[in-house]
Amino acid sequence: MSVLSGSMVVVSAVSYAPFIATTVAGEASWPSLFFLSLLGGFLALDDTALAQTWFSQPLAAGALAGIFCGDPAAGLAVGLLVQLVKVGDLPVGQSFTGEPAVPVVAAIGGVVLGGHRLALPFQNASLDSVALTGWVVLGVGLLSAVGHWIVQAERRAHVLWMLQGHLTLRDGALGRIERLHFRCLASTFLRGFIFCSLFLLLFLRLWVPAFEYLPVRARDAMAMLPLILPGLGIGALVDRFGLGNCWHWLTGGAVLSFALSRFLL
Amino acid sequence: MSIDNGKFSGDARAKGKALSGRLRWTIFLRSLSLQASWNGQRMQNLGLLTVMLPWVRSQPRELNSDRVFCRRYYEFFNTNPYLANYLIGGLIRLEEERVDRGTDAPDPTGSFRDSLGRAFASLGDQLFWLGIRPALVMGTCLLALEGQAGAILAVVGIFAALQLGLRWRSLGRGYELGMDIVDLLGNPRWHRAILFARVSGAVATGLVAGWYLYHPTDMGLAGERTLPWIGLCVGWTMPALLRKRLPGEGLLVLAAFLVLVMAFAI
Repeated sequence: MSVLSGSMVVVSAVSYAPFIATTVAGEASWPSLFFLSLLGGFLALDDTALAQTWFSQPLAAGALAGIFCGDPAAGLAVGLLVQLVKVGDLPVGQSFTGEPAVPVVAAIGGVVLGGHRLALPFQNASLDSVALTGWVVLGVGLLSAVGHWIVQAERRAHVLWMLQGHLTLRDGALGRIERLHFRCLASTFLRGFIFCSLFLLLFLRLWVPAFEYLPVRARDAMAMLPLILPGLGIGALVDRFGLGNCWHWLTGGAVLSFALSRFLL
Repeated sequence: MSIDNGKFSGDARAKGKALSGRLRWTIFLRSLSLQASWNGQRMQNLGLLTVMLPWVRSQPRELNSDRVFCRRYYEFFNTNPYLANYLIGGLIRLEEERVDRGTDAPDPTGSFRDSLGRAFASLGDQLFWLGIRPALVMGTCLLALEGQAGAILAVVGIFAALQLGLRWRSLGRGYELGMDIVDLLGNPRWHRAILFARVSGAVATGLVAGWYLYHPTDMGLAGERTLPWIGLCVGWTMPALLRKRLPGEGLLVLAAFLVLVMAFAI
């Protein structure tokens, strides 16, 4: 039943996000921090522990957080770049790397609630807003790497809890097995909730304000980051597909994109 | 019913058995959290046992049989979560048949779970993680480039609904088939689906790459028009040069290093 109620809360959170957004958008208030952390908690669950609906993919997480905060464009700017750079990763079992969904939600919350704007370089945006996007995405990447270690620590705790379940092999108490399993589920939610709150405050009070103190050259570098990142991610994915196997499909897609952009759109 | 060369001689499907509605719902909901207690030592063992417990509770209980059941399911187990319900349904069917036969009969559930777990893991990873995921992600990236946040959530929502539908259906199907799930694995439609998903992913990747290269920027930065090309070349050649694939976070740090060098050097 806990799983059922958890799933229902996820569905409710997604359905009511636009409604909640109208009440907390643009304000760095405690309710907005709480609801964003709640979203972080549910997305941490969705990542591997519960249902795996892919709402925790960085782009979908960014879109959710952007809509929630009342600035979908900011959510797309961060989510798109993180998604492209992570697309070549295979999130399976022990090869699982990084934890981008929680930092993406925290970053978008920190930026939008702090009154800043983010943009992609393709949107005729100002150099400063593109540079801030690059700076925020760099922060997301670093916190995602931190999140990786936290997930690994949580999984080590799962080993200890799983070993506790050996008692049931002696006394036959089935309820213990369920309690241990649902404890793991709860710990994942709490990890997402707590670290989303902490990362959000970090972005709001430290990382985004620090952008003002970057030297001009470093800002230029941050403005270049959104230009080079998609290529890196796409290149890594092409390597995973194997260029020899799929070059004609890739080229066909690229030619189609050129044609659509030039003649139709 | 007897066992002949590891296969049931009785026709399981002819009985037309199905999981009862309430039990199926409980097992289905629990199966969504199969990976919640994933651990590096025995992976999904605790998750699988938690999924199977409602069935244990629906049977006549006896302390020793509960302990033996837990012992049998406390071993290493790992499979793909999207296709796991075929296996879970099949395991419940085999457990019921085991109860009907009596506990002294040879037990095929262990080898069934281990061998099919690996087969479904391989199939599911090829189909979902290396096929559908890149295709869906690149499709949503195209929508993001056009600023369609709502459409992205709709696409992901449709995927979520479809995969939940697959999990619900596969639980019933696994139960119907029992040991005959092996035949399902040999169906060529799986491989056609993997190929289709991979081709879709490659085309969508080409579309995003084309969009990205076709839309030049004009921010007044030195060399900004060559940056997308540099990114593509570095991203593609890096795994061959390093003899390993960098995770996304590693690519990001590498990109930050590259742009800092370029900004200070140019």
